[in-house]
Amino acid sequence: MSGLGNFALLLALFLSGYAVVIDLLGSLRGDQGLIKSARNATVAYMACLSVAMIALWVLLVKSDFAVIYVAEHTSRSLPLPYKISALWAGSAGSLLLWLWFQAVFLVMVYCKSEFKHRSFSANARMIANLVSVFFLIILNSDKNPFELSTVAPVDGMGLNPLLQHPAMVLHPPILFVGYAGFLITFAWAFGRLKTADEDNTLPLLKQAQRWAMFAWLFLTGGIVLGAWWAYEELGWGGYWAWDPVENSSLLPWLTATALLHCFRIYNRRSSIATWTVLLSILTFSLCVFGRFLTKYGLVSSVHAFPNPGLGILHVVLLIHVWVIAGVLLLRNYLRKKKDPPNARIPSNRFVILNNWLLLLLALVIFVGTLFPFLSKVFIKIIESLSTQAGPPRAPVTLAPEFFSKITAPGGLFLLLLIGLCPHLLRSGFNKSWRIILGVIAFAAVVTVWLFTCSLDSARPSDISQAIGWWGQWLLSGSPAIPCFILSGFVLVNLLADFVGYKVKKSPRNLRWYGARIVHLGVAVMFIGIAGSGGYAMEKTVAMRVGDKTNIAEYELTFEDLKVEHGRNFTAVAADISVHKSEKLIAQLKPAKAFYNASKKNVSEIDIRRTLAGDLYLALTEVDNSQKLINLHIMIKPLINWIWIGSFVMVLGTLAVMLSSLKQKAITAKDN
Amino acid sequence: MKTKMILKILIGVIVIGGGLGYFTFQAMQSSWSYYYSVDEFSANISDMNNYSFRIAGRVKPGSVNRDLQKMNLTFTLAGTKTEIPVLYEGTVPDNFTDDIEVVVEGRLDENKSFKAKTLMTKCESKYKAKVE
Repeated sequence: MSGLGNFALLLALFLSGYAVVIDLLGSLRGDQGLIKSARNATVAYMACLSVAMIALWVLLVKSDFAVIYVAEHTSRSLPLPYKISALWAGSAGSLLLWLWFQAVFLVMVYCKSEFKHRSFSANARMIANLVSVFFLIILNSDKNPFELSTVAPVDGMGLNPLLQHPAMVLHPPILFVGYAGFLITFAWAFGRLKTADEDNTLPLLKQAQRWAMFAWLFLTGGIVLGAWWAYEELGWGGYWAWDPVENSSLLPWLTATALLHCFRIYNRRSSIATWTVLLSILTFSLCVFGRFLTKYGLVSSVHAFPNPGLGILHVVLLIHVWVIAGVLLLRNYLRKKKDPPNARIPSNRFVILNNWLLLLLALVIFVGTLFPFLSKVFIKIIESLSTQAGPPRAPVTLAPEFFSKITAPGGLFLLLLIGLCPHLLRSGFNKSWRIILGVIAFAAVVTVWLFTCSLDSARPSDISQAIGWWGQWLLSGSPAIPCFILSGFVLVNLLADFVGYKVKKSPRNLRWYGARIVHLGVAVMFIGIAGSGGYAMEKTVAMRVGDKTNIAEYELTFEDLKVEHGRNFTAVAADISVHKSEKLIAQLKPAKAFYNASKKNVSEIDIRRTLAGDLYLALTEVDNSQKLINLHIMIKPLINWIWIGSFVMVLGTLAVMLSSLKQKAITAKDN
Repeated sequence: MKTKMILKILIGVIVIGGGLGYFTFQAMQSSWSYYYSVDEFSANISDMNNYSFRIAGRVKPGSVNRDLQKMNLTFTLAGTKTEIPVLYEGTVPDNFTDDIEVVVEGRLDENKSFKAKTLMTKCESKYKAKVE
């Protein structure tokens, strides 16, 4: 079976390489026969990858531990669903899965629309297959999932228990669908750069837009699922740690969000056309770069310069991509110069502003993530800048607070922009509504301000002190309060927009509602972020059976310690009863599980969930003989609104996609 | 017309650049820490007092001591030649044991013992890369 898998991977490499060369030759010579052959090679390449996937699955389910990948990620006692999901538990398997999604999408889009837009498809396919070639070289040598060990172990090492969670089973494939989906817009961008942008390529633009939306939907889902998993499983009570792995999925999300707004107002004669193309390429590049960053220890390694081995191919690929894009852009620019100057039309300023903001956020996060690496490069410059006799050369890392501090103003500004959106759009609501809104927003700000001031024990005595507070609060205070105000502003505006929208040119349709629902979801999510970030409480206590402890309005009693046996683990669970004003409101059972195959401890947290906030208990240490535990107690206000908000975002995106599919069906009927 | 345009752009650049610079400076001040291996750190230990550090090393087998009553953890972080004692108060990651690669972040106290604010283990699911 592993031989078959290996053969399929090699054949896939050959086929995708062949497709690149033949597509290039075909489009240079205008030879339809060659282009057809390249198309067939792409389909065959997809088939080869499917064979490799099936082969790996068979090996995993059969528990063939002679294969290193199988031995490293499964064990005999592992439940079947986890054996199946082990395909993407390791970096080799996950690369295979990503590549397979790419191949399937490529065949679905650029091997089907062959007849109408033959040369466009050939160009798009060429660049997509170039990506595949690079990935397949890595897969065949550096990260081969079918590699055999010299001595087959009796049992495997088992799947990392942290990954034995439904969210973690779904998270990687969902994320990869997103990454792979951006290949389609990426390929479109190259087709669009190479081919003259005529009106007959409009269906391809619409298609790229739909794929961008599809990929964005999955990327959003994947990121949120990952965050939820971190909250449920890692036991530290947070959902986002700004570590390189998380950042590398957020970066393409930010640029993709900018991209979606560009697609919305795309016009081939405005500057937004170039923006759209660049953002498409950038988004996919960031997906590729993120993989390189996280899988090759670029920033996590303490060594002066980590040796990425074949991973450097990721960088080589990106250089190829951007050089090709640069050359094509230059060519198009020189050609366009001959156009009459009045043929160009201005683009929507607010979309440009939104783009700049999202890109700026992405840039800051990018630099922050790469900072340990960059500081290695610029170590001498840093040394000469610091005047103190500091410690000698060492790379610098930035703590997570760096990211939260620096992204807060950007995030707030984005919220403001979303809130202003209905005002800024020319077809928005009328004057009387605008006045009503202004009054409501002002009243909301004053109320929140008074409320937060009264929460503080030391109230401002006179007006000048109050103004001083106001200034302090805006400049150095927690971003949570402005975040609440702006989220409220967005909600009020959107609700008013639903009620008071003045139907002028374009009547309200599913797309109109969908876009606003997504924005509504963003505001709800920000409320959750501000609440759980700004007002969280936590403490760790050592407790013996019978001990009581208080946090906020809760009283927690440690009732008992029990040992439980599961299929592949043994757990020690603490029985905690929670009282609120003398009334029993919950029985929580945080536990510590020991997994037999991997010899690992895992904290199983327990949460009392309400819409107002979570009471989060994690058992950090247990001594069963002394009946002594260390309990980490956290209060996370409003945190569930993050998950609710992201669900609303997904619903809104689905509505927009549905309307765009409807549009497609109508155009197809008309033709 | 043209000078007006340039002026506009200049003001925009100053405002945005200044704001960004200010926020970056603010954010960096509190989160800046130097990243060392144990050996590099020990070699320069005399002038390390006033900085925040991140140190990578291996947990020395048999050195781990957990005190559940005081809720702290002490262990020895070993490099190839040298080692430093570490005191950590906080949630210990689940996969923390003897003889694994960890990264600690914190400061030196007066007795040249390292007081860690955070303790990170190299999580296999995430950092699968081979460590040389």
